[in-house]
Amino acid sequence: MKSPFFYLLLVVNVVLLGWGTYQALVVAPPEITMGDAQRIFYYHVPAATAASILFGINFLASVWYLVSRNAVADALAVACAEVGVVFFGVVLVSGPIWARYAWGTFWVWDARLTTSLILWLLYVSYLVLRNSSESGSTSVLAASLAVFAAMDMPIVYMANRWFPTQHPQPMIGTPNLDHNMQTVLLWNMAAFCMFGVMISWFRYGIERTKQKIDQLHIQKATAGSPAMALPALLLFQMDDKLLREKAVQHQYMVIGYVAVWTIYIGYLLFLLVKLQKMKREAASLGLKEN
Amino acid sequence: MNLSVTKLAALNVRKDLRLEWRSRDVLNSMLFFALLVVVIFSFAFAPTREESRRLSGGLIWTAFLFSTTMALNQSWARELRNGVLDAYRVAPAPAESLFLGKCLGNFLLVLILECLMAPLFVLFYNLTAVGAYWQLIVICLLGTWALVVNGTFFAAMSIRTRNRELMLPLLLLPVSIPAVTAMVTATSNVFTGDSSALVQIKFLAVFCVVYTTISVLLFDTVLNAE
Repeated sequence: MKSPFFYLLLVVNVVLLGWGTYQALVVAPPEITMGDAQRIFYYHVPAATAASILFGINFLASVWYLVSRNAVADALAVACAEVGVVFFGVVLVSGPIWARYAWGTFWVWDARLTTSLILWLLYVSYLVLRNSSESGSTSVLAASLAVFAAMDMPIVYMANRWFPTQHPQPMIGTPNLDHNMQTVLLWNMAAFCMFGVMISWFRYGIERTKQKIDQLHIQKATAGSPAMALPALLLFQMDDKLLREKAVQHQYMVIGYVAVWTIYIGYLLFLLVKLQKMKREAASLGLKEN
Repeated sequence: MNLSVTKLAALNVRKDLRLEWRSRDVLNSMLFFALLVVVIFSFAFAPTREESRRLSGGLIWTAFLFSTTMALNQSWARELRNGVLDAYRVAPAPAESLFLGKCLGNFLLVLILECLMAPLFVLFYNLTAVGAYWQLIVICLLGTWALVVNGTFFAAMSIRTRNRELMLPLLLLPVSIPAVTAMVTATSNVFTGDSSALVQIKFLAVFCVVYTTISVLLFDTVLNAE
């Protein structure tokens, strides 16, 4: 289905993800007070960066769609919004796991956390709208909503700069972040941004096929929102007394990493199942693949 | 016929208000709903005087937010009967005038609701403002406009979807949470007098300007989405 170029990039991406994870787990120096639990940071921040980029692309594609009514723009907008929601879901799951260790609580209603949750909800409502509007007007309505949703992005970005928050302040390029840690973070940022773009590319292909299928017969493809937050269940058994021990730091790190990969892999499986369904449907309708 | 946008908007407002005056179904249901919320909250929390100062910002705006949602659904659902919305679509009048008319109509309705409910809140919760109470008027005007302008836009959007009324809260609440947070904090600040509400008022003003602009720009697209 894809060009050899896609597979080449895929290999590069897998290597990069492996290298980034190796750096995060082995090379990066342990943090003084938080130990291994701090290593969740190397997955949390890159996921946020990737999600922001994807939401940004979604905004541009939506404006492009409103201006030109181009089906390519629409497919790009859906792909980026959906993958962005998954990546932001990773942010919202990995953050609380770390926070449970660092602050002793999963969630506080400070400006950064609240605005982030709203941003995620906005894009979930975007996906809900896409699945429940009448076929003809879906794309136009969704593109309009995307413009509204994008207005929230600057608020999230500036939240921990404008207001005093419990969420850590921005650290890249400041003396607060150890040089080695920053290098590891940048590796992971590169890896996960590329990962986000690759999945979106894959999702975009599916969306284009879907558009072709829809042209052949008007039938709604059902797309559920990705299942999330399952790994959080693991944490309910933890005891506060154990909190500050090294083994516990390690445990938090493992839970964080497992949670993140559960979401990514879960979403990829969801996409593969969707693709298989679509292939069968396309074959039954006689749609030629290109 | 050459009518300016403002004149057309004024005509729309007059038409909406006259319809509402004759039937009074929206205002009555809004009022009754808000009253129920006030009563339920007051015995669910049973706050003391100090607590109610802290809580009432949230209570007031939750009550207004939910009752506004009722009004908004009605304002467009009314136009679906007899294909009025389709008539608007083919009419040569600019879509912005229809949107602004609807917004102003809803704004006035919600303001009436707020004027009627405010004394009740004061009565039930023993409210006295420690801070600068005149700020409440500004917060009220800006907050109501923020809710109504987004609400009118998303109500127009949600009647285009399959599950109509169900869709509105799903679309409207996430978009307006930043504004609602600002309104609640500002109102509580005025009641308790702990800190200034000016930051939130500025935020609300910016919010209103930004979202009014986008709504006006995109309304034509949404009205004619096919």
